[in-house]
Amino acid sequence: MTGKSSKDILKNIWYEYNFIVIFIIIFCVFLIINKGAVSWTGITNIFLHSAIMGTIALGMGMVVLTGDIDLSVGSSFVFVGGLTILFYNQTGSVLLAIMFSICTGALCGLVNGVLVGKCKMPAFIVTLATMLIYRSVSQYMMNEMGETRYRVEASLGSYKTLFTFGNGSVLTIPNLAIVFLILALVMIYITTSTKFGKNIYAVGSNERAARLAGVNVIRTRIKMFIICGGFVGFASFLKIAKDTSFDPATSGQSFELYAIAAVVIGGINMSGGKGKIVGIIFGTMAFTIIDKIITSLGMNALLNDTVKGMILLIAVGLQMVRKKSS
Amino acid sequence: MELLKMNNITKSFFGVTVLDNVAFKVRKGEVHALLGENGAGKSTLMNILGGVYTKDSGTVIFNDKELAGSSIRDSEQAGIAFVHQELNIFNDLKVYENLFLGRELRNRFGTLKKKEMISETNVLMHDLGVDINPVSLADDLDTSKKQLLEIAKTLHADAGLFILDEPTTALNKEETKKLFDIINQLKSKGKTFIFISHKMPEIFEIADRYTVLRNGQFIHSGDIIDTTPEEVTRYMVGNSYSDSSMYEVRKIGNTVLELKDYSGQGFNHVDAQINKGEIVGITGLQGAGCSELMQTIFGIRKSKGGRLYIHGNQITHQNIQSLMKSGLAMVPANRKENSIIPDMSLLENTYISEHVLQHRRQHIYKKGEIEKFQHFTKILNIKANHHDDYITSLSGGNQQKVILARWLNTEADIILFDNPTQGIDVGAKSEIYKLILKLSKEGKTIIINTLEIPEIQKIADRCIVFYHGKVQVVLDRKDINEETVMLHATGAVNSNGHRQGVEHDW
Repeated sequence: MTGKSSKDILKNIWYEYNFIVIFIIIFCVFLIINKGAVSWTGITNIFLHSAIMGTIALGMGMVVLTGDIDLSVGSSFVFVGGLTILFYNQTGSVLLAIMFSICTGALCGLVNGVLVGKCKMPAFIVTLATMLIYRSVSQYMMNEMGETRYRVEASLGSYKTLFTFGNGSVLTIPNLAIVFLILALVMIYITTSTKFGKNIYAVGSNERAARLAGVNVIRTRIKMFIICGGFVGFASFLKIAKDTSFDPATSGQSFELYAIAAVVIGGINMSGGKGKIVGIIFGTMAFTIIDKIITSLGMNALLNDTVKGMILLIAVGLQMVRKKSS
Repeated sequence: MELLKMNNITKSFFGVTVLDNVAFKVRKGEVHALLGENGAGKSTLMNILGGVYTKDSGTVIFNDKELAGSSIRDSEQAGIAFVHQELNIFNDLKVYENLFLGRELRNRFGTLKKKEMISETNVLMHDLGVDINPVSLADDLDTSKKQLLEIAKTLHADAGLFILDEPTTALNKEETKKLFDIINQLKSKGKTFIFISHKMPEIFEIADRYTVLRNGQFIHSGDIIDTTPEEVTRYMVGNSYSDSSMYEVRKIGNTVLELKDYSGQGFNHVDAQINKGEIVGITGLQGAGCSELMQTIFGIRKSKGGRLYIHGNQITHQNIQSLMKSGLAMVPANRKENSIIPDMSLLENTYISEHVLQHRRQHIYKKGEIEKFQHFTKILNIKANHHDDYITSLSGGNQQKVILARWLNTEADIILFDNPTQGIDVGAKSEIYKLILKLSKEGKTIIINTLEIPEIQKIADRCIVFYHGKVQVVLDRKDINEETVMLHATGAVNSNGHRQGVEHDW
C-alpha cells in the first residue's frame, strides 16, 4: 500500500517538476565533462548567459500558456534593439532607453496580439509574417545608414553606466542574472497567485469555457503578446548593455526557436493551459549549459544545434512517457 | 428467427452507468422501433452495436455468430449499417464521392472510375426518388438532402441490418414518406431495420415491433399491433410523473427579466416577463431557438433586435461581463466543451467567474477561497476529495455542481440553465432539481432550457414552448404535461389551442 502511494508521489513530482530532473541531468553531464573542476565563476557565467534568452523565454512562456505562439521574438529583438540604440545615441539617457525598449517591444507585441486575438488570424502565421517584417526592416534601416552594425556611441556621458550595468555584478552574481531572476519571480507570482494569472491558464486550457465563465479571452490573449513584446524589448536593452551593439543580420538568429525550446523543456505545454513559469528558468539554463558542454568538449560549434535538437527531443520524449503512463 | 440478440449489455461512462444489463432482440425482416426518452440509453446501445463504443460486458449475437470485434469496421463487415443522428457527410466532397468513400471504384491502374460512380449514384438517387445531383458539392445540399444522402450512403453499403437513428428529424412529410417507401421496399427483400424515433405516428406507421428502454434499463418489448401510443408513452416515462412532490408553491416577486420583441439568430420577436423567485422552463424541439435565446440573453451571441431589461434596466452592452455585473449567470449546455476548464483544480474552477467580477484586487487569498469552496461543497453536496484535485476527476453530476458553485459564487440572482442534466445519471439529476428548487426558494430566479419535459414538469412554475423560433404558448404549471407540450412544440396546435394539419415542414 505504502509502496504504491510513494510511487504515486514520485510520479506526481516527476510530472510537476520533470524540468528540474532534466536540468540536473544536464548539469551533472557538465560536471562530469569538466571533471568536477567547475568554478563559481563558471556557474555565475551560466546565469549570465541565460539572462537574455531567459527574459525572451519568459515572454514566450506567457504566450504559450494561452495556447498561442510567437515566432517574431528573434526579429523584434533585433528590431527593437536597433531602434533603442538609435534612440539612446540621440538622448543619452539609460532610463529613457529602458522605457523606450520596453514600449517599442510591447508595441510590436500589440500588433501580433491584435491580429491574433481580435482578427482571429492564426498566431503561427501572424508571427511568421512579423518575424520576416521586423528583421527585414531592421536590416534595411542599417543598409540605408550605410553601416553593418547598430553601435552605441562610446563617447556618450552615460556610456559607462550602461556598460557597468551590463557587465557588472553584485556579490559575484552578474547584474543581468539578478534582473532575470527578479523578472522570473514577478511572473511566477502573477501566474500562480493573481486572478489575472488564473485567467491565462483558463484561456489556454479551454478557451470556450473561459469565455462563458466571463473571462475576456480576446483581451487576455492580446495582453500576453504585449507582455511577450515588452520582455523581448527589455531583453534587447539587456543585450545593448552587455554587448553595446546589434548586428541586424545575425543577432537574435533562431532565438524564437531557442525560446520555444526553453519553454518546452521547462515543462510548459504547447497547447496551453499547463505548466509552470519557474520551469522556464531551468529550461533556459539547461540550454545554456549545453552550449558550455559543447565548448568544453571542443566540439565543432556547428554541431551545437544538433545536440540542442537532440536534447529537446529527449526531454519532450521523457515528458511524453509520463503522460502516457498516467 | 432472431437476427440480433444483445444480452446483458452494460456500459458506463466515467462511473455513470448508462446501460444496465440491457437485452435487445430483433427478428429478421422486421422494422423494430427502439424507444425511450432522451438519456434512456438508445443511442449508446446502438453505438455499441455499430462498433462506435465498446461494451463493458454482455454479448452481441448477430446472424448466429457472436460479434466479438468491437470496431466500426467489424460491425460493417458483419453487415450492420448505421445511419447516425448527426450527419457524417464530408462537406468538401461531392455527393458521389461521399457515397463511395472508402470503397471507390477503381480500374486496373488504381485510378478512379468517376463516370461509373456518378452513373451508379444517379441510379441510386433515382431509386430513392431524390433529386440530388451526384456531382454537386455536399456543402451545397440543404439539411434534409444531406440526411437522405446519409441514408443513401448506408443503403449503398450492402448491409443486412440498418440502424436508423432519428432519421426523419430533418425531413418533411413528403421526404419521410419516401423514406418509408424505401424501408418497406427493402423490408420485402428481407432487410431488417432498427428505427429510433420520438414521433409516435411514424412509429405506428412503420414499425412491426418495439422495445422500450428507460434510464439505461430494458423495460418492455412487444408487437406494435397490440399496443397504443399511450401505453408506449407510459413505458417510456415510467413513474417519473409522480416525482413532482419536490415542488412547493413559493412567493413570486416582481419582474426581474423582461424581453420585448427580442430577436436573434434562430428566434424572433420574443416577448416574455420573468419574475423574481420563479422557475421558468423553456422548451421546444431541436432547433426551435431555445438554446440560441439563452445564449443571446447571456451575451454569447449578438441580438438582432428588440430589448432586454434586467431589474428594469435596459441592457445596452450585450457582453458577458456586463451581464454578469447585472446579476445574470448561465450554466451552459455541453459541460465538457463549455464549462469545464480541464487543467484547473476544483477550487480554480469555482472562483474563476467571481474573480472576473472582482478584478480590482488581483491577489488571490487562497485560504478565504478554500473556505468559500467548502461552503459550496456543503450546500451543493459536492462529492470531492480535495480542492486541489482536477475537476476532471469528478463524475458528471459533481462537475455540474462545481459549475453551479462557480455561478452562485458570483452572487448572481438570475440563473440560466441550458440543458443542465445532460450526461448526468438519474440520482444526480434529481439532486440538481432539488437544488434548483431550493435556490428559487431563496429568491433566485431560474430559467431552464431543456428538451426533457418531465424535468420541466417537476420544477417549473411556467413553461414557454417554442416552435420555429417563436413563442408558441406559455403554459402554467397545471397545464404542463408531456402531451400538451409536445403538441405545441411540434406545431400540431397553434397558440390558441386549435389543431392544425400536422406539418413537419421545418
